[in-house]
Amino acid sequence: MTPIQIVVTLVGIALSIFIAWFFWLAPKGQTRISAGVSGVQEVAITVKGGYTPDIIVVKAGQPLRMRFTRQESAGCSETVLFPDFNQSAKLPEGEEVLVEFTPEKAGEYGFQCQMGMLRGKLIVE
Amino acid sequence: MVKDPVCGMEIDPQSAFASREHMGNVYYFCSENCVNQFDRNPHSFVMQNPEKVDFAGSATTGFNPNLRLSEIELPVIGLKKGGQPGAELIKQALNKHPGIEKVVINPIEGAAVVRFDPQETGVLDIVNAIKESGYKVGSAQKQIGIEGIHCASCVQFIENDLATIPGVLGASVNIGTQEATIEYLPEQTTLSQLNAAIEGWGYKTRVASSDQPADQQEAAHDKEYRSLMNKFWLATIISIPVLLTAYPQFIPIIRDWSMETLRAAWFGAALLTIPVLIYSGGHFFTGAWAALKHRSANMNTLIALGTGAAWLYSTVAITIPGIFPEGTSEPFYDVVAVVIALVVLGQALEIRAKGRTSEAIKKLMGLQAKTARVIRNGQELDIPVEEVLVADVIQVRPGEKIPVDGVILEGSSAVDESMLTGESLPVSKKTGDEVIGATLNKTGAFKFRATKVGKDTALAQIVKMVQDAQNSKAPIARLADTISGYFVPVVMILAVITFVIWFDFGPAPQLVYGLVTAVSVLIIACPCALGLATPMSLMVGIGKGAENGILIRSGEALQTAQGIKTVVLDKTGTITKGKPELTDLIVADQQSVTGEELLRLAAAVESISEHPLAEAIVEGAKTRGLSLSKPEAFEAIPGHGVIATVEGRQVALGNLKMMQRLNVELGDLESKSDTLANDGKTPMFVAVNSQAAGIIAVADTVKEDSKEAIAVLHKMGIEVVMITGDNRRTAEAIARQVGVDRVLAEVLPEDKAHNVHLLQAEGKKVAMVGDGINDAPALAQADVGLAIGTGTDVAIEASDITLIKGSLKGVVTAIEVSRATMRNIRQNLVGAFIYNVLGVPIAMGALFPFFGVLLSPLLAGAAMAFSSVTVVSNANRLRSFHPKFSAK
Repeated sequence: MTPIQIVVTLVGIALSIFIAWFFWLAPKGQTRISAGVSGVQEVAITVKGGYTPDIIVVKAGQPLRMRFTRQESAGCSETVLFPDFNQSAKLPEGEEVLVEFTPEKAGEYGFQCQMGMLRGKLIVE
Repeated sequence: MVKDPVCGMEIDPQSAFASREHMGNVYYFCSENCVNQFDRNPHSFVMQNPEKVDFAGSATTGFNPNLRLSEIELPVIGLKKGGQPGAELIKQALNKHPGIEKVVINPIEGAAVVRFDPQETGVLDIVNAIKESGYKVGSAQKQIGIEGIHCASCVQFIENDLATIPGVLGASVNIGTQEATIEYLPEQTTLSQLNAAIEGWGYKTRVASSDQPADQQEAAHDKEYRSLMNKFWLATIISIPVLLTAYPQFIPIIRDWSMETLRAAWFGAALLTIPVLIYSGGHFFTGAWAALKHRSANMNTLIALGTGAAWLYSTVAITIPGIFPEGTSEPFYDVVAVVIALVVLGQALEIRAKGRTSEAIKKLMGLQAKTARVIRNGQELDIPVEEVLVADVIQVRPGEKIPVDGVILEGSSAVDESMLTGESLPVSKKTGDEVIGATLNKTGAFKFRATKVGKDTALAQIVKMVQDAQNSKAPIARLADTISGYFVPVVMILAVITFVIWFDFGPAPQLVYGLVTAVSVLIIACPCALGLATPMSLMVGIGKGAENGILIRSGEALQTAQGIKTVVLDKTGTITKGKPELTDLIVADQQSVTGEELLRLAAAVESISEHPLAEAIVEGAKTRGLSLSKPEAFEAIPGHGVIATVEGRQVALGNLKMMQRLNVELGDLESKSDTLANDGKTPMFVAVNSQAAGIIAVADTVKEDSKEAIAVLHKMGIEVVMITGDNRRTAEAIARQVGVDRVLAEVLPEDKAHNVHLLQAEGKKVAMVGDGINDAPALAQADVGLAIGTGTDVAIEASDITLIKGSLKGVVTAIEVSRATMRNIRQNLVGAFIYNVLGVPIAMGALFPFFGVLLSPLLAGAAMAFSSVTVVSNANRLRSFHPKFSAK
């Protein structure tokens, strides 16, 4: 092997490890929601290439209100699904849409677009 | 003479108590009371032209000089059928209130009639008092678009103005959306009045854009499709010259160009592909960036990386060719333009195909009637259906759509309910029968009282249920979901590995081979096909079910239904009609009475009995057109029967014990009675003047199509079990009639769930079919619970599947829909898996060592674009599914 091939190989291995670390292993930021005066846990979520915030920590047994605003026209993100709660909502572009339910059991629940391209996680404590 | 605008009294301006000027008009008042009222809120009295004020008609607002008290009927939402505790709570709350004279709550109609003194209180206060007691007043909410409203201060004026209109409970104007949201009592004001108030301030009103949610999505899809097609055309047009320069050796004139000319042409191609990257492919890059910020990757990431890498390499190669080894400094801008064109085209086609998957729901929404003819204050008014309130009386003429759910008050007709239930024959309806909104009135005219409006109607519930189910997940999708979660980073790593392998071990020029294969890997991988496979088929399949009167609650229910091995049918109301009917009439040989007379006498006796069997006899006599005379000296003997005197004759009806008690000689009637009982019927002896006269038998008869449906279930390889609380003899008689395999008789209602559990313990997937109320625990216990819906009650909690049409054929269709949809999903999933599992290695160059073939990135782009279109198109094939028992 030429030195340049060795360099390319090493860079390739490093890149592969970086990809695995970046997408799967690195800790992701969590957004903790606390209930307001009304007792409702409320969070605004922007939908654009992903959900911002995408990891939401809430308390069990308290009503949760998520205000989704979709700021893109790509067809994929037009529906947000909470399969574990049997909830879904259509998100017209630029319009605020409320998704409300009360998570009763602690656990981690995914939410996503219809095809699963955009993903978020609801951590109920 | 002028009119006092407050009380309406005719007065002489000269002798008026006071006068006021307001908005350019002068008003005169008869008394201090009137002028004080006017001063408190001048606007409310001058909203209408003072000359035209109809004081008698404004009783609801309370300003009637002849009648001190006003009466208003308010629809109350949330009252239970029995009315308690709601009626008491509302009464208490209102009675505490000053100025309330009388409160009558009608829980059946869900209305509160309040008589009040308008001098002391107003409608708004009454509404608030009811709200405080925890109940809501049925009000309408309407958005009105206001054109060109920009000044924030005008908002306040319009809001105040709207609030003074009698019947308006609240109004707010949103300057951002240019819309007013008004909550009002449609009985007291109309939309045109609201519009007039806004227009009074010099603004034009329009239909609010948020009022058309159904079309909105379609419009958004259309817009997205057009935008994608524009992107596609630009990329396609630019692809042509770029392709020509990419393969100069094949093109006649370009073949002869010198290296310098060609290099210049490549610079041209570099510039030409910039708009393709920015305009046509921009969304891939922004999408990829947005995903990257979330530490996630998706299809956008792959396309952006692939085309971006190709463009960057090409540009470096043509600007500083020296840094690359000999022969590797050729660009491939063609990959950039053509791949973007193809993928964008694929996305556009996908949107088109997706639109068709939700056709069923669009059809359902389109069924909603637009207007209703409501009778208020004795007048017929055509109003938008959104303004119809619970307890409104609505007139429906032949050929018209029934606007909301309700109960017929007068008149009768035949109603075509096929659009909701799939039942092809019109259903006859008479006074007291339930009608369902969105069904079509065929023959007669009738009036009905609205019981459910807005989002509570059967249609709205069906739409909501179907939409929720379409967006739910089938367990089969879990695997695909997990895979697609790891998919994109894995593909990226594979692309890196591909590049390294080609660079280290590939033939020269290694750099070009490495790059082309890596780009091909990025482009051919299609996470979308995997992600789309289940939801698209689910959309079509669940929609198809709804078209045939079958509401499937979730993807999970749909998936479970395909594997059903045993169907448990409740007897009463599911296999049978659930209501006893007169079936046999036997006259004793030695008797002189005719069958008709026997029935007439027996029915006369039973006409004052409240037993369900008695009802069946009376109903049977009535359908035969017999008129019944009044019985005298009626006596019911518990455990025996009934006895009474009819037209001077003593008529007794009852069981064997009753006959023995009266010492009636039965002769061969006893054996005839046994035969009837063996057939599952309930025979009753009739004695006239202590002489055996005959037998009348009633039975809960089998639905016409039960037998046929059960036969088809057998053909599908499904065991059919009947479960009932009835005695074994009756149960087996019914089972023989319809051909059921197994009978579980004499099962107490609370043991039904346990019996379902025992069947499950035999290792079979069990479906339970029942009525949703008594059978709820058994429905919940079963793997799939199918509830037979009746009338407007479609959202049955305990069930996984609701059959709107009360026929067992629905069970067959539900299983058929489930099987067809699951087959389609499996095809999609297998297709998408195979595509990726084969496509990625081929793009990596797996075939190269053996055949010397390498996949061009252009072909990879085409394959990727059409793989997701294929998945959606395959899902659309389900639209042509036809159940065995076709609805239409």
